[in-house]
Amino acid sequence: MGLSTGEKIFMYLNVLFFIILMIVMIYPFWYMIMGSLSNSDMTADGGLFLTPAGFSLAAYIAVFQNVSILSGFKVTLITTAAGTVIGTIFTAALAYAISKKRLRGQFFFSLMILFTMLFSGGLVPSYLLVKALGLVDTYWAMILPGTMGAWNIFVMRSFFKGIPEELEEAAKIDGANDLTVFFRVVLPLSKPVLATVGLFIAVGYWNDFFSSVLYTTQKDMWQLQMVLKDIISNTSAAISQAGISISVQNEVNSFTVKMASIIVSSLPILVVYPFLQKHFVKGVLIGSVKG
Amino acid sequence: MALSNDVIITAGKSDARIKGRFARDLIRDKFLYLLLLPGLLLIVVFRYIPMYGVIIAFQDFNIYKGILGSEWVGFAQFTRLFHSPDFYEILRNTVLISLYKLIASFSVPIILSLLLNELRQVMFKRFAQSIIYLPHFVSWVIFSGVIIAFLNPVDGMVNTVIKGSGGSAINFLGDVRYFRSVLVLSDIYKEVGWGTIIYLAAIAGVNADLYEAARMDGANKLRQMWHVTLPSIRPVILILIILSLANILEAGFQQIFLLYNALVYDVADIIDTYVYRVGIQDANYSYATAAGLFKSVVAMILILTVNKIVKKTGQEGLW
Repeated sequence: MGLSTGEKIFMYLNVLFFIILMIVMIYPFWYMIMGSLSNSDMTADGGLFLTPAGFSLAAYIAVFQNVSILSGFKVTLITTAAGTVIGTIFTAALAYAISKKRLRGQFFFSLMILFTMLFSGGLVPSYLLVKALGLVDTYWAMILPGTMGAWNIFVMRSFFKGIPEELEEAAKIDGANDLTVFFRVVLPLSKPVLATVGLFIAVGYWNDFFSSVLYTTQKDMWQLQMVLKDIISNTSAAISQAGISISVQNEVNSFTVKMASIIVSSLPILVVYPFLQKHFVKGVLIGSVKG
Repeated sequence: MALSNDVIITAGKSDARIKGRFARDLIRDKFLYLLLLPGLLLIVVFRYIPMYGVIIAFQDFNIYKGILGSEWVGFAQFTRLFHSPDFYEILRNTVLISLYKLIASFSVPIILSLLLNELRQVMFKRFAQSIIYLPHFVSWVIFSGVIIAFLNPVDGMVNTVIKGSGGSAINFLGDVRYFRSVLVLSDIYKEVGWGTIIYLAAIAGVNADLYEAARMDGANKLRQMWHVTLPSIRPVILILIILSLANILEAGFQQIFLLYNALVYDVADIIDTYVYRVGIQDANYSYATAAGLFKSVVAMILILTVNKIVKKTGQEGLW
């Protein structure tokens, strides 16, 4: 099937459009990488930063000497790992139980979960609860409130409903109970949906800063994104952080340090993203077909 | 007499039998309940207890006296809220900002997915998709850093360009005339790619014969999009618009929280940011909870209404 001249022109223009769009999407990251590699004396005038202005790694040295960033990494790694594991396993277990029609109360439990999508207690009561539980300045304050999401539960439930009943019955004839069926039969079959939901939960924890705003009073309990927020919004905080040696402080300015901090803290997502992208897309589509 | 006794006896019997069956089912499914328990417990604690906590909106809550010891004031907090000029400002800002975002966030992804769908080179298409989905996963903290750096009036790139072409620097984030535009544009930039996923899936489901028939009739690409693709995905578009109307009170807390400042409160302060400042920072717990409760209740009514409307149009609703 041949294409008319008009269609060919359209095709080329369309490709051109997407090339430009991709450049627009990539450019901020490019700008920040180049800015972070620049020599601090040469960034004062601003500019496009298509290439670094001068060259210096001092900003990165400053980032890795910064005690707050290192502790932010630690806090975020702990909350992300724990939150993702707890969230994924408990979500799967709950979703599996309510995927069984025979379970007494199954409808009631589903309704209870659904209702959390319709109504919420809001910010202040949630804050007061975490305070009353004595979780302020603990990792649990940043882990537990966000573990269970109604959306994730329903995505998993619809997946579990699609697993043929015969597989589970076969295992039961061999003497397995519901627990062993869940862990030995159902979970191994559910790797795609576990990966998808787990990734969404993980990104949520990695990008979270507001838990730190609400539930921490000490800087050493700040999540990475909270440390970053502080560095971005507070010019003097960018450079004069505990741990950064004087010789390095003289070689950087707040701009180069901000850029380097942003790059370092977004790097983990940028690195794993290409490999995991297809799982994310799958998740959106499973969710939209709903069960 | 004998008959009615009989009835009572059988009724009693079947009652016992039902109870017996109930207990037997509970025992049979004991492991399922075990699986259900931890997740349900987390939901009860972190979702349902705060729902109970909203009753402090009807109190003059004192954190030392607790919910049980605090004084009840009826609807006084709501009266105060509805009489405050702040309330109309934050309501207006919330609705306006999310309405602007809504218009942008359903129109631009549709156009973009139509264009993406026309890319013939599979590798190039995949690559383009990967790149434009990416900003969705970058946190608002990082994004706010990018925006602040780009729009900085002294040495930001945008203002360097403006000054270079003879203009004078604009403080985009501190000027009520520009702030909302910054919000809407940065939101599109971050979410437009991600927004195409559902449309692309819908477009992929369009019957290819329809395009062939349209081509036979001499329709060019633009006409095919207009007369074949768009009508075919209209149900999806409709549902997404209706559903986002239900979220009209969600104007994007994180984004605004990270970008706004006292200079632009007039146009940028939304219900959520107000609740945070008044409730958490100033510790006006009851008053802020009342404002939050107002939002939750309106949001719930909106979702229930919207779901009904969606079902009336013959589509599957949210539940």
